[in-house]
Amino acid sequence: MEELILELKKQIIEALNLEDITPDDIDTNAPLFVEGLGLDSIDALELIVLMEKNYGIKLEDPGKSKEIFKSVATMAEYIEKNRTK
Amino acid sequence: MKKITAYCRITDRQVILNGKEPDIAFSGEPGSSRLTEIYRYLDAGYPKFHKMDNLSKAGFLASEMVLRALDYDRETPDGSTSVVFANKSASLDDDKRFQATINPDNYYPSPSVFVYTLPNIVTGEVAIRNKIHGETSFFILEDFDAEKMHTFIEWAFSSPGINRVLCGWTEYLDNHCDVLVMMVEKESPKGMDYNILNINQLYLN
Amino acid sequence: MEKIYVTGFGIITSLGAGTADTLESLHHRKSGIGPLRWLESMHSHLPCAEIPFSTDELRCMAGVPKEQMITRTSLMGIIALGEALEMAGIRSKNSLNPVLISGTTVGGMENTEKYFLRMLTPDKTYDDYILSHDCGVCTQLIADHYGGFDMLSTLSTACSSAANALIMGSDMIRTGRTSIAVVGGSECLSKFHLNGFNTLKILDKEPCRPFDDTRAGLNLGEGAAYLVLESEASVKTRGVKPLCLVAGYGNACDAYHQTASSPEGDGAVLSMTKALKEAGLEPGDIDYVNAHGTGTPNNDESEGKALMRVFGTNSVPPVSSTKSYTGHTTSAAGSVESVISILAMLNNFLPVNLNYKNPMEMLSFRPVTDEKPPRPIRNVMTNSFGFGGNDTTCIFSKI
Repeated sequence: MEELILELKKQIIEALNLEDITPDDIDTNAPLFVEGLGLDSIDALELIVLMEKNYGIKLEDPGKSKEIFKSVATMAEYIEKNRTK
Repeated sequence: MKKITAYCRITDRQVILNGKEPDIAFSGEPGSSRLTEIYRYLDAGYPKFHKMDNLSKAGFLASEMVLRALDYDRETPDGSTSVVFANKSASLDDDKRFQATINPDNYYPSPSVFVYTLPNIVTGEVAIRNKIHGETSFFILEDFDAEKMHTFIEWAFSSPGINRVLCGWTEYLDNHCDVLVMMVEKESPKGMDYNILNINQLYLN
Repeated sequence: MEKIYVTGFGIITSLGAGTADTLESLHHRKSGIGPLRWLESMHSHLPCAEIPFSTDELRCMAGVPKEQMITRTSLMGIIALGEALEMAGIRSKNSLNPVLISGTTVGGMENTEKYFLRMLTPDKTYDDYILSHDCGVCTQLIADHYGGFDMLSTLSTACSSAANALIMGSDMIRTGRTSIAVVGGSECLSKFHLNGFNTLKILDKEPCRPFDDTRAGLNLGEGAAYLVLESEASVKTRGVKPLCLVAGYGNACDAYHQTASSPEGDGAVLSMTKALKEAGLEPGDIDYVNAHGTGTPNNDESEGKALMRVFGTNSVPPVSSTKSYTGHTTSAAGSVESVISILAMLNNFLPVNLNYKNPMEMLSFRPVTDEKPPRPIRNVMTNSFGFGGNDTTCIFSKI
């Protein structure tokens, strides 16, 4: 799981162009949206693309994705259970 | 008499702000890296910059330098400034990037790239950063044309309540940057006369 | 201030070609939204509002010879422009020297998408299509079909393009640069923007439901519409019958997000307020608002709140979105919806907001469900909000 979390942080940084941030800067359990990294609606959509591209997980409804994208930890948990890649 | 109160010229070889070259440490890498180097020099503290496409980055940086030079108050909503840019390649630089994400062999359309497949988004980015609520527009011309630009900048001034127009040429394609952003003010004691000759001079020098 | 008259207009959308077909569809509450017929996209499940004619059929209707390279966007533009010029009594290759200002973002992309793989092969048959890709060329092809235009300009500010073309044309008349300005826009569907909007997850898999609480997104459409604007002097000299006035307009930047609108609709409030001020009208003078009303959760809430702020919580005039008929015609929306608003005013009816069932609780008003206006329609307002926070409002008045 630790390996996945690190990998995921690197992928998030790249996908969302978070140039000034390193994996160490991202708190695994901190909120991704509003506070924490302060991601916005377009970032949420890119995370949906990331899930499909890297893990083969299709998320159709951005609204339902709120729980999954709460933090890096919740994302990693969901990926572990549902990945097809 | 309208005046050009500040201007910034960014090309592949030079950055000029009001006639002077800021001391930016360039590594020699072209394109996006070069724009990031200008951003770091400015220390703008605006991470959203990194999400922008190259056209928006280039227009944003030149605007940022112009507005800083004028001590522009970016905290107060401003309905008396308009933003009018033009170029010849529209958003083609980002269009190509988006096209690459809808390749049938590698089909992952990117929303954050698609957002920038409209040339006027750069005017939106400048407006968001600086709380500018005046008119915004973007023109596509065959080439840099000071006379045509003069016409539509004049047009921007014809709207009631508009005292300043942040305007210019924001061309970016395939690592090639050709940007001139000016602040033109209706009334100002300082600055150079706003006319076609001076627009050409700023662009050509 | 110099009066600006509308002396002609033309339109082609999923409702059909021409004002008669458009009026009939509006009166009969017949939407043009349905499955994709012409665009070869894998997203065939997404409802769209395509014009009910193939590109070959459009070519025949426009009278463009088979050998001439042309794009769907330009063909639509030629047909709509033809109707507008005819209504205004302007012949081809005239000596009036009008200007043409057209909004488009897709331009000739629909052709380039179809043929670019073939362009990469030694087969030279399709190479010329690259020449028609450019937005400016699209306008040129439309203008050249009729000839006689003094100046051409192409605006590309996304979904507010055609509305901004109207502003530009009006300002050119007001500042004496021209006495006749033909303004509008044309946009056809393309895989590029269908995929793009889809990836932003703002397309509804069902027909859109503007101002409905269950709304889930927009449906893309295609269309073209042009209006002939003239100075008072030109109207008098030509002895032409003016149809209505361009009373006022306003453009403002929302300055909030690249593609989303601010929660309270700040940019919309500014553009509507500017337009009212320029028209010398009070909010209470507006008899119908043709909303931008895309049917996305974000827009309709934002625009709804803006309408309440401008008109007063309990005095919002009849509002509807006709995107439930034509889909979102993107760059052409500003002129398509201006023509629809003028048709509503001249024929004294309110275009019903289709697919509305569930009220939005945060809004004090409900969209139009009954065609009969509560009072004669004298002034109509239309909103067009583009990505980049580019918000435009136009007001037309009866003479």
